[in-house]
Amino acid sequence: MKSPTSLAGRLSRTSFLILVLFVAWIATPFSVQADPPQPEKAVRGPCVRDAEWMRRNHMDFLKHKREETVREGIAVKSESFLSCAGCHTSRERFCDRCHAYAAVSPNCFECHQYPK
Amino acid sequence: MTMDRRTVLGLGGAIAAGVALAPGLHLFAAPANSTSPDSGSAQPGKRWGMLIDTTRCSSDCTACLSACRTENNVPLYGDPDRDIHWIRKVELRDQNRRQLPVNLPVLCNHCENPPCVHVCPTAASFVRHDGLVLIDKHRCIGCRYCIIACPYKARSLVFYKTKPPRDANPNVPIRAAGVVEKCTFCAHRLDEGKMPACVEACAKADKNAMIFGDLNDPNSEIHQRLLKEKTQTIRADLGLKPHVHYKGI
Repeated sequence: MKSPTSLAGRLSRTSFLILVLFVAWIATPFSVQADPPQPEKAVRGPCVRDAEWMRRNHMDFLKHKREETVREGIAVKSESFLSCAGCHTSRERFCDRCHAYAAVSPNCFECHQYPK
Repeated sequence: MTMDRRTVLGLGGAIAAGVALAPGLHLFAAPANSTSPDSGSAQPGKRWGMLIDTTRCSSDCTACLSACRTENNVPLYGDPDRDIHWIRKVELRDQNRRQLPVNLPVLCNHCENPPCVHVCPTAASFVRHDGLVLIDKHRCIGCRYCIIACPYKARSLVFYKTKPPRDANPNVPIRAAGVVEKCTFCAHRLDEGKMPACVEACAKADKNAMIFGDLNDPNSEIHQRLLKEKTQTIRADLGLKPHVHYKGI
């Protein structure tokens, strides 16, 4: 009568171990912190808006500006896409680093050129 | 003094209307216009137009075409069915051979009643304050209704993804595949106070066949010449009121 219980006990212990390992495996990405992205520092300043604000809102800002520029014809040179490059010299080292980290792929650069 | 029922109701209505209107007192808002020093902007009062003097345009000159391609980064694929043309040279021949063939460039006519804008399902095609008919490529879904609607064959669909040429003009975006595009009268240059690239190239080639300016400005050359000379538009019968006028056709 003993052997079946011990087999059941062994089975349950194994399945518990498997469960623990599975949970650990699933939770790995949360426990291992990736380094935050290090976008390149601006070569001059100040930015057209506060840097902290830009970090959060640049996408809405650009979208708003794009509507104004294209549809209303109000093109403010200093706030244009092209003038970003005046301070942030490299698209790869500035824009793309954060975008890759955040896993977003904005399609701005399909058409717009980032001056080198 | 006693007032009858009708007067009381009328007065009440007038007061209500007055209260509703008084705070703003603007039935029509003035168009927004940025006054920032470094902003080039579309001025609402303007109506950009072009006059093409076909008597000065020769069949062997393609200065306007090549200037347009370099200014706006328009690629040439070499596939006649799918090539993008913002401006084309057309030869008109008299069927009865009573007149010599006439050469003329055809581009977007920037109509006052643009059929392309009326059919656009996403409002990607629109008319700007200064009368330019433009495409907001961010909204274009590439349905091509506008290509069918345009009687001047001014629009092209971008079939292929293109890489920017090495010496590309950064002021004009490179095209994404699957959107429609056309002549913008070089809107980016107009906003900077310059003439469109084709007009400049035509003057540089010593032809001066293209005259560009504000149709609303009575002192502009184009306004004066349209008053004095006999000009016409293509397919005027359609009632689209094109802003590109031709002389000598």
